[in-house]
Amino acid sequence: MGLRKVAVVGAGMTKFVRRAQETGKELAYEAAKMALDSCELTLDDVDGVALGTAPDAFDGVHMKGEYLSDGAGAWRKPFMRSYVGGGTGVFAPIQGWYHVASGLFDVCLVVCEEKMSSCQPHPQGAFLTIFDHTTERPLGPNLLWIFALEMNRYMQTYGLQKKDIALVSVKNKRNAADHPCALLGDPNITVEDVLKSEVLAWPVQRLDVSPVTDGAVALVLAAENVAKRITDKPVWIKGVGWSLDTAYWTNRDLYYPKYVEYAARMAYEMAGIREPRKEIHIVEPYDPFDYKELHHLEGLLLADKGEAPRLTAEGVTARTGNMPVCPSGGLLGVGNPIAAAGLMKVAEIFWQLRGEAGKRQVPGKPITGLAQAWGDLMQVGTVIILGIGG
Amino acid sequence: MALLEKVDKNIEARAWQGEIPIQSRYTCGLAGEKFFREIMENGRFAGTHCAECEYTYVPPTIYCERCFAKLDEWVEVGPEGTVQSFTVLLVAPDGTPLEEPDILALIQLDGADSVLVHRLGKVGLDELAIGMRVKAVFKPKKEREGSILDIVHFVPVNA
Ligand SMILES: [Zn+2]
Repeated sequence: MGLRKVAVVGAGMTKFVRRAQETGKELAYEAAKMALDSCELTLDDVDGVALGTAPDAFDGVHMKGEYLSDGAGAWRKPFMRSYVGGGTGVFAPIQGWYHVASGLFDVCLVVCEEKMSSCQPHPQGAFLTIFDHTTERPLGPNLLWIFALEMNRYMQTYGLQKKDIALVSVKNKRNAADHPCALLGDPNITVEDVLKSEVLAWPVQRLDVSPVTDGAVALVLAAENVAKRITDKPVWIKGVGWSLDTAYWTNRDLYYPKYVEYAARMAYEMAGIREPRKEIHIVEPYDPFDYKELHHLEGLLLADKGEAPRLTAEGVTARTGNMPVCPSGGLLGVGNPIAAAGLMKVAEIFWQLRGEAGKRQVPGKPITGLAQAWGDLMQVGTVIILGIGG
Repeated sequence: MALLEKVDKNIEARAWQGEIPIQSRYTCGLAGEKFFREIMENGRFAGTHCAECEYTYVPPTIYCERCFAKLDEWVEVGPEGTVQSFTVLLVAPDGTPLEEPDILALIQLDGADSVLVHRLGKVGLDELAIGMRVKAVFKPKKEREGSILDIVHFVPVNA
């Protein structure tokens, strides 16, 4: 396609917390500065900045992109904000990738920020207004119930029990206990704890859900010739994909995320991956709810339809399993500052492939990993594949 | 990282309450006008049909998102349909328990390809099932005002 190779060369993230004292700009700054420091670059080395952040209503600032721009390192630079709901955190590095792959920039800083604690009395208020104002909003919809409808459909289709799905929450919250930035790591949580937690909207219970969170994450992307000067451990962006299904969320059969499959196929093709189950070594699928990790593994073609719960029960997706899934601890464990949570997943793949994930490091020297996010009205899939060597 | 993790009251982080002072004025659109008029005047569901895609939209749209054709073929659908999924809501958005559980469902009206979201009523929690047959209950005609809430809820067909 005449595209340049692009590498991730640096990463940074703030702690994920319930209520940050820092403003959104300050969070963005902490992550961006850390990412630049990690590869010994300064703002002068950055040609452009790609920012990802979710609804303006979260931070309570319209034109939130511009509001965050100085903290994200965009002073007097080309600056672009993208937003595809929960899919934003994996879309922002895709946007950064095409700015570099096209030849426009040599170095692009990618920053994702979310400060959900500003949104009072609860960010659910902002979510109310993402629905159709005529046919849905009069019913008072919230995200919990649309996820509950989807989860029920998924469970019914494959005859799954709550305990099959709770295993995901347990795995991820335990993994997060080893993440220094995690909000909800818990090394001792059990399936019983999840099954005994408060029922919010059947079948969704409190511990099936990731928490409202504040935080920011940043990556530095560089073109091949520059990347090789910056680091001897570049992590290449091998493939990207994204796809949007119908905006009428009710009109999809909710048991299977076809839009994730389309996004994954686009990324696999670009990366030259023919057998994803053999060639993808670690996976960070989007897990705002425990069933979503399973749903997304199936959409990514990494599990047969309805089989992801069995892989989980057999330990295949454990950090020490054959295909570690959410070794970071995921959104369920590290936290869910929407856009930042997605980019955290890409950063995790970066650290894992470089062997820099500390106590979270998966065994077996993985060389290829995939991160995926999902959002908008439950119908956007964003996928990125990273790899070392080649 | 100078992040305060243990700030439980906004005031401790020197925060204050503020708001963005806007209101919105919404219209139901060209397709919505016909859809809601049919409900108000006749207690019936009107959808639009794309012959090219063999797909019927309810609520209706004036274009087909699949082939981008302009749609002007109107068809009557429902008022019975099939539950595709449901949830029993036990807490309000602010986390407080609801006095009565709220049951929401995805309902595919007979003759429609798209799916409507609405409430279920007059149904026991143990009767709830994906695949159950339901029908719409409308408000009395003089109380209808051209809103999706002119449908009170859906109830089991045999109720
Ligand atoms: Zn059509």
